[in-house]
Order: sequence, then structure tokens, then C-alpha cells
Amino acid sequence: MPRLFWITIITFGLLFKLLGFGSDLKSIERNWSFKELTEPKVPNVINTSWIQNEIDNFILSKLEKVGLEPPLNETERILQRRLSYALIGLPPPKEIQKIKLEKAVQNLLESPHYGEKWGRHWLDVVRYADSNGLDENLAFAHAWRFRDYVIDSFNNDLPFNQFVEEQLAGDLLSIGKSFSESNRLKIATGFLALGPKLLAEPDPVKMEMDMIDEQIDVIGQAFLGLTIGCARCHDHMSDPVSTVDYYKMAGIFKSTRTMEKVTRPTKWFEHNLSSVLELKHSEKHESLIVAQKNLIQAFKEKENAKILSLGKVKKLPKNPLVHYSEKSKKELVDLEKALSEFEDSRPQLNFCHGVEDGNITNLNVFIRGDADSLGEKQMRGFLELFPTKINELPNDMQSGRLQLARWITVNCQALFARVIVNRIWLWHFGQGLVSTPDNFGASGAKPTHPELLEWLACQFIENNWSVKSIHRLILNSSTWKSSSYVSKKMLERDPENLFYSRFPVRSMEVEAIRDTCLTLTGDLNLTVGGKVFFYENRKHVFNVTSLDQTNYNVNRRSVYLPVIRNHVYDFFQLFDFPDPKIVQGNRDPIPTTQQALYLMNSPFFQKVSRGLAKNAQVPEKRSSVHRLFMKIYQRKPQVDELSETIEYLENFPKPLDDLHPLASLAQAMLCSNEFLYVR
Amino acid sequence: MRTFWNRRSFLQNNVMGLGYSALLGSIHAKGMLPKYRLKPTKYKQRAKRVLFLFMKGGPSQVDTFDYKPKLKFDHGKPLPFAKPKVQFAKTGNLMSSPWEFSRYGESGHYVSELFPNVARHVDDLCFIHSMHGTNPAHGAAVLKLHTGSENFIRPSMGAWVSYGLGTENQNLPAFISICPTLAHGGAQNWGSAFLPNTYQGCPIGNASIEPGDAKLGHISNKVDSISQQRVQLNFLNSLNNRQNRGTIQPELEQRIEDFEMAFRMQTSIPLAQDLTGESEVTKRLYGMDQSISENFGTQCLIARRFLEHGVRFVQVTHSALKAQWDQHGNLRRDHAERAAQVDQPIAGLLTDLKIRGLLEDTLVIWAGEFGRTPTVQGPKFDGRDHNPNGFTIWLAGAGVKRGFKYGSTDEYGYYAKENPVHVHDFHATLLAFLGIDHTELTYPFAGRDFRLTDVHGRVVNEVFA
Repeated sequence: MPRLFWITIITFGLLFKLLGFGSDLKSIERNWSFKELTEPKVPNVINTSWIQNEIDNFILSKLEKVGLEPPLNETERILQRRLSYALIGLPPPKEIQKIKLEKAVQNLLESPHYGEKWGRHWLDVVRYADSNGLDENLAFAHAWRFRDYVIDSFNNDLPFNQFVEEQLAGDLLSIGKSFSESNRLKIATGFLALGPKLLAEPDPVKMEMDMIDEQIDVIGQAFLGLTIGCARCHDHMSDPVSTVDYYKMAGIFKSTRTMEKVTRPTKWFEHNLSSVLELKHSEKHESLIVAQKNLIQAFKEKENAKILSLGKVKKLPKNPLVHYSEKSKKELVDLEKALSEFEDSRPQLNFCHGVEDGNITNLNVFIRGDADSLGEKQMRGFLELFPTKINELPNDMQSGRLQLARWITVNCQALFARVIVNRIWLWHFGQGLVSTPDNFGASGAKPTHPELLEWLACQFIENNWSVKSIHRLILNSSTWKSSSYVSKKMLERDPENLFYSRFPVRSMEVEAIRDTCLTLTGDLNLTVGGKVFFYENRKHVFNVTSLDQTNYNVNRRSVYLPVIRNHVYDFFQLFDFPDPKIVQGNRDPIPTTQQALYLMNSPFFQKVSRGLAKNAQVPEKRSSVHRLFMKIYQRKPQVDELSETIEYLENFPKPLDDLHPLASLAQAMLCSNEFLYVR
Repeated sequence: MRTFWNRRSFLQNNVMGLGYSALLGSIHAKGMLPKYRLKPTKYKQRAKRVLFLFMKGGPSQVDTFDYKPKLKFDHGKPLPFAKPKVQFAKTGNLMSSPWEFSRYGESGHYVSELFPNVARHVDDLCFIHSMHGTNPAHGAAVLKLHTGSENFIRPSMGAWVSYGLGTENQNLPAFISICPTLAHGGAQNWGSAFLPNTYQGCPIGNASIEPGDAKLGHISNKVDSISQQRVQLNFLNSLNNRQNRGTIQPELEQRIEDFEMAFRMQTSIPLAQDLTGESEVTKRLYGMDQSISENFGTQCLIARRFLEHGVRFVQVTHSALKAQWDQHGNLRRDHAERAAQVDQPIAGLLTDLKIRGLLEDTLVIWAGEFGRTPTVQGPKFDGRDHNPNGFTIWLAGAGVKRGFKYGSTDEYGYYAKENPVHVHDFHATLLAFLGIDHTELTYPFAGRDFRLTDVHGRVVNEVFA
């Protein structure tokens, strides 16, 4: 008996080892999201006629299980609108309206406005802003370069793994690259530099550790859906992330130069993007300024000596100028004028926010996050959760960001791919397959369709991390083309639409509302990219005076408006624009009273309504109404709508002028759900 | 009435309410309704609403409410113990207060001559002399006081309170901030961070706007009259009802209700802010007849009117263009001026709240983001530096132990010494006044349940009456 007992124990022990359950218990309880990817079998369904691609198999098989029919297909007109907002965030362009949907998908994916819409999604995740916020709200005047980098990357369908590697280590990848490519890569590291920082923190150690913490926190949530930041003070409560792991990673960023100076007045680092020629030109210009200054100095000395020797004064007074001869005075004025012209015409050098490698170092664990109680020194590295080979670890030559980037995209591949395909799904449907897009840890939500998520992640990797390939899959599925019609049965069996029994009705993002309004009045300037920001770099956008100098009267697309932390454009802030200091993969589309006030009373909506009315107004009321409906709803009014609308125009109380009733009608239509929601 | 399918009629038509509760559940999940509703906790609800008088810049405790005779005695001598490891700037030796202190009321509490009018209320006040924070820079300290964190992005205390208790008046927001500063955290100090944006504060103007002209953004329409808007809204409702037919989308319906609420707010907010009905006597009481205290008096009077109308959390910030309690130099001149700006208004406000019975269920808080050093700063030996290590705040009103003082600083007023109260403890106590257990008021975000006090906070039971 005892012999058998021991044999059993040993056999089980060996089995455990063989099966890779390792020595620690943690790996046995490995969360679903930390497991390897395996391509799931595409399920069979009864109603095969509904199927357009594999996505539909996964969705329909669940619907069939709960006894629901596949949803109806939506009409072409509504699908065009849905598609256009999904890909470019604008109302359907004319050329799209006449072609088949599949072709329209292709066209819109090639539009430069696609990057503006999808780049903005990524900017939500990486907490993009044009000012620091937090304690001292200084201007990030070069942040727009990072924004344009993101837009371009989406437009070019840069493989997503490469996109992420560039944001973490672009500066290290830029070595040996051409001038423009090297600049593009340095700009990518703006991702690490654009976080909110406590710029007036008097404790430089804390200043730097808080900043590193912010970087690690954003990296964890944005790329891996992990809240690594928790481990600064204690081991993670629910995920296998230890303080040791944390300080291994923190060492990488301690070895990175994000700040030029961490003692007050603190100063963040910037890459100089100027060419050798530009630098030379600038140097030359500076030397001219110095020469001119010397010239003025010499001239003054000569003149001062002159007035002394002529006996005009006994001792050189505070302001000797008044004693100069008229001719000398004029000469001096000319010299100084030339100097100020030189100074005003300094050639502009180009900079961007970003990071580079600093002093390579390893950190001790700060026990309970306290810099004064040091634990053991940790060699730079990553989370134990996804093991690394020794030669993949950071070395003594570099900070280790490049290795970190490779670790995320290779060693953590499965999790990394799941997180981003879930984001793409969420940005199409307004709900993720995992409802907590920034948290894939044990405390996050479980996927509603685990196999579909796995399948999409596999497709993504197979298609060389092409984001556009996932769009094509989603947009060509029947699931995406579903009607938003809700039956009682759907409500009964799928109240929260977790089975996708209908297409979710979604409120338009605030950028789309604004851009659409400006499109309707013909005012939108569709220029892609470039600087719109008007603040001086490193200057307060808000100081103790609280004087508001923001100005959003620019007719560019919303993605180009400045994002001022702690004082976001009120139109945006009142709607679903995220707090640009935190990772926000999922916007909060909840309507509020203040939104209603904005729609009713803001000069913006009044101007747009009036503009629309002006364009629509013709002598015959019916035609005016017709034109408004076509413009705002892209459809003709129904018979009862027409009569009710005419009645509204005719009975509008005490109009201020001819246009007033029609403007009021236009505004009501802009406030209506048919306009504000995409179905 | 036009028939359309909304969630109410749906519920009525389907007695079993099939799916409805689940639907409601999803609304809760999306945060459209507060998840946390006041249920009995171990704390009695002493206060129904909060008035926070924020003195931006850091008023000096040793020149106002924390009397330190030894400081006068040892004037000019070096501080006999170590200064903090991290200081905002270098300071010199001890400097006595330029102001005399006298005892007031039955409690006999010492108040400096800077606050002669507030001093008459000492028997209604509860001082906490042992406050301490974590950061000696303005931005970090202001954020810490308002959100509980200086470096993480967290909801403001007003947002937590409106999330916890909701609104008392359906026609007014739950959280209003009158003329807040846009610097040092700006909107973050009344923001909702990861809480749904329903709970964020409504700023009325900002610190660079005269309180008399301060308005909630877009509260009035410059083109359409109220009757024109009513007609427009009826038309909009009819458009929406037609379009909503056949779908059940709580959000779509919420939007309809929001327009109605917004329409009512257009009248209710300006009405609450309208001071024309207030008598000259009242205005004098708030110091509005004196140019020096007119602005802050106006803010206080507007605050009282909002409280009267059932606004849950009202913040009044004293931070006009030049008015900050931040005297690294010119302490004598400028602290005197700051005090003169707020002394009569605050005293008048306390009197008025008392007369109207509002003080019984309103918690009044007076605080800066930190105090100032008892040691001298500046070339003219007339300034004090930031000091988060020991400072004074006071409470008044609902459930507060009157004429009481809690905790103390050392003999010079530098460090909190006896019964120290951290900013987190203050937050825990504030919530306890409202009947909320600070460990229970949580919101799930980024993988864990967050709260105003994070993992800290001790309720200071001693300040309860």
C-alpha cells in the first residue's frame, strides 16, 4: 500500500511537470487571457443562409442556442450611414452613396479621413493631450506631431506590433535610418512623454518615480489590459504581478530620459528634429546676433569715451545715451533695430516630445512604494507571468525599452493580440467581447464570445497585424449589417444585447457630431494633419489668474483641436470625450442635462442651425423642409412628418425674422435622436 | 397622447415586466443611476448637504486660528527641531505673528485680529488644528484636498458625494462650484474622472470672472424666447417619439428627459442665482456693501441660495485674480487684505444659515490646501512658506461638536503633533457626516473598487456632536 502511494505521488508529480504546470500554483490558475492562443473551430449553425463570414458562425451559434433568430439585415441607406461613421466619422460622402457596400468599405478604408477617426480611438487609449494638466498646466506645443504620427500610422495600416514597438522604442529603432524616417520614429516615443506630470513636485525622487509609474500604468493598460501600476506598493491583488516585477520594469524607465531636469523648475526632454543644414543655419544666425550685440557694445563704449573726453560729463551717468550727439543716437538706433530684426527672424528649429536612453541603471524595490526603505536591487526585466530567455532581457548598453517592446509583441503575443482586437470590436459595436477593454486581468470581465475573440486574434496575427484586415472581416459580416430593430423576444432572451441579437444603437461621438454639423453647413476644412495649436511651448495654458485664453474657433476636424487637460473644450467635455489624463478604451456615452443645454443654447448649434436654414430656404416651405430632411437625415420626410413640420413653421410664435422658424426646425432636427444616434 | 413604445409603457403592457429589470440592471451598470444609495451604515446621517469654503493659496494657521504664544517669545530664534526633509523653499528663523490674538465666546478660543467677525462665531465652530497633507506644492496639495490624490486621476469629493447621495432637487445639479480656479488641477478639482460624467460638478463662472457675472455655461438662449423653446421642445419630442417607435433604448429616452430637465434648469438656476430679491440688510450681512468683501460676499450669498434649493455639494473658492493666500512675502499687507475679503461674508453666511435653520443640516467646511511655516521667508522678513505638515481647518453646522478644538500642532505650529488628521481622514469624516461609510462608497475601475480615501482614512468621531 505505501509503495503504491508513493508511486502515485511521483507519477502525478511528473505528469504535472510534463504538462508544464511548473512549480508554482499561479500558473495552474492561469487566467483565460494569459493562455496561449489556439485557433478555435468555426461552429456549425442551422441557418447557413445568413452567414457571410466566420464571425457570423460564432454569433449565430450562440443566438441559436438561446432560441433567437438571426437579426434582420439593415437597409442600404442606414448601412451607408453606419459605415461612414464607423470608418471616417463623417456623414456618407456622395461618391459612396451610389456604390455597393463592399466597395464602399474598400473606398473608405483608403480615405485619409479613416486615420483621423481611428487615430482618435488610439489617442483615447494613450491619453493624448496638448498640455500637461495636473499641477502645472504647461503647453505641449509639439504634441501634434505625435497625433499626426498616429493618424498616418492608421492610414498606412502600419502593422500593429510595429506601431507599438515604435511608440516604446522609436528612438532606439531610428539608429541608422534616413533623416525623415528617424524623425518619424523619434516622434512615436511621444507616447511615453505626453503623460501628466507633477511638474512642481519638490521631491525629485518622487517626481521621477511618479512619472515612471504613469508610464508603466499606461503601457500595462493600453497594450496588455493589465493594471501593473498597482504593484508599485504591493503585489497585485488579483493578477500575478509582483513588486519585484514592477521595479524590474521601472528600472527600464529610470534608465530612460523623459525629463531633462527633475528638480524645480523641472524641464521635460525633447528630441531636436532639425536637419544638419537647419542646425548650421541656426548656429550661423545665433553668431550673427552675438556679433551684432558686440558691435553695439563696442559702439557704446566708444561713444561713452567720447562724451567723457569731450567733458560733457564728469562721471559716466546711468543713462549716458542722452549725452550722445544726434548723429550717434541715430546710428545706435539703427544698430539696435538691426539686432531686433535678427532676433525676430531666428530660423525655427523643429522639436518633438519624446524620450531617449539616459543613464543605464537598475532599481531597488521601494518597500510599500517608499523611496526611503529600499529592498533588493532588481535587474531590469519584465513580468514573470510571461517568461523571457536570458538573451531577450535588457543589457548594459541600452535602457531595455526595445527588449520590452519585443517582449510585449512576442512573448505576450496572445494577450496583446486579444486586447487590440477586442478594442477594434468595441469601437465598432460600442461594446467589447470583453466589456473591460483596459483590464484583461482576473478582475476584468470574461469574454461573451471567447472563441470569436480567439479566432479574431489569430486572423489578426496571420494577416500581419493589419488593423484594416479586421475591419474588412467585421464590416463584411452579417452581424455588422444587422438591423437595430428590437423585438419583445429579443428583449426577453437577450436584454443586454450580449448575444448581438440586434445592432446596438449608439450615440455619435462628439467629434462626429461637430464634424457633421460643420459638413452640413459646408464649413468643414478637410485638410489632413498639421499644427493648429497656438500656445507657446512650456508656457502655462492656465496659471493662477484662471484667465481663459482657449479658442476653438477653427473649422478643422475635431481631432485637430487642442486638447487642454483640466480644461477640455466644453462642447467635448460635456459629451463623451474622455478625460485625457487616463487610459480610456471605452467612452461614456451617457446623455446628460448639460449636453441638452449645449444643444439648445450654445452659439455653435445656433450658428449651425441658421447656416442650415439659410442653405435650405426656398420660397416654397415644402421644398425647404424637404431639403432640410435630405441634408440632416439623408431621407425624404414622411407624409405626416411633412404636415407636422409645415404646421410648425407656420405657427412658430413671434419669429425674429424670415429665417427664424426654419432655423429653429433645423436645430430641433439636430437635437433629435435620428441625428445624434447611429443605428 | 401619441402612443410609442417606451420603457414605462412597455412595463405597463407586460405585467411580468419581462426583461425590464435586466434592462434596468444594464442602466445601473452603465452608471446612469447611482449604484450606491444611502443605506444605513454605522454612521448616522448628520448632514444633508455640504458647503466647502476653499481658501486657495494656503492661509497661515499661526496668524489666524492656531495661537502660539511661544512663537512670539522665540521670535528670531532658529527652529529648535528639524525642518521637513522635503520643503518647498528655504525658510529662516521663527517669526512671530504680526497680529494679536484674543479669546472669544464661551469656549474661549483664541482667534487673531484678522478674523474679528468670524471670531464671534467661535462657539459654533469646531477647529481641527492637526491637519496634515502630503505635498508642499500648490497643484499637488489642491488636488490632494479635492480628490484625495495628487498624482493619480481621481474623482473629486463633490463628485463622490453626488454619486453617493444623488440630488435633492430634480431641477438643479447635485454639485456646484462657484468661481473655481482653473489653475492647479483646474477641472480635475470638480471632475468625475472615472465616475460617470453625470456626477461632475457644474462650474458657475471661474476665478477670473466677477461672481455677479458668473453663470453656468449655456444656461440661457440668446436667440429663442422661452415660449419659442417650449414649442421647439414639443416638436422635438414628437420627432423623437416617432423615430423611437419600435426600439427600446433607455438612452434615447434619457435624452428626451434631459431636454425637459435642461429646459427647467434654464429657469431654476438663474432663479437660484438671482440676488435682486435679497434685502439690503442681507447684502450688508454678507459684506456686499463694502468693496473689499463684495465679491466673496456675492459668492457666499449665491451659495446659500443653492443650498436652500437643495443642491447637495456647494463649493465657494476664494481665488480671485490676485487674491490668493500665498504670502511668501508681504504677509502683513496681503494676509490682512485676504482676511478682510472673506471675514464679513463668512460671518454673515454663518448667521444667515443659522437664522434660516439651514445650519442644522448643512456641514460647513473652511480650509486651504495647506498652512504656512512659522519660520520666515523672503528678503523683507515678511513672508511664510507652504506648510502641509500642520495646519488648521474648521467645521460648522450639522452634527458638529460646537466650540470644540481637536488635535494640535507643536509649540510653534509647524507639525501636527497631537491627534494628527490627514487629508484622507478629513475625507473619511466628511463622508461620515453624510452618513456614508468611506470604505463602502466605491466604484469599479481598472480592475478594482476605488474610493475617495483609497486605502486610507480614519473617521474622526470626536468632532461629532
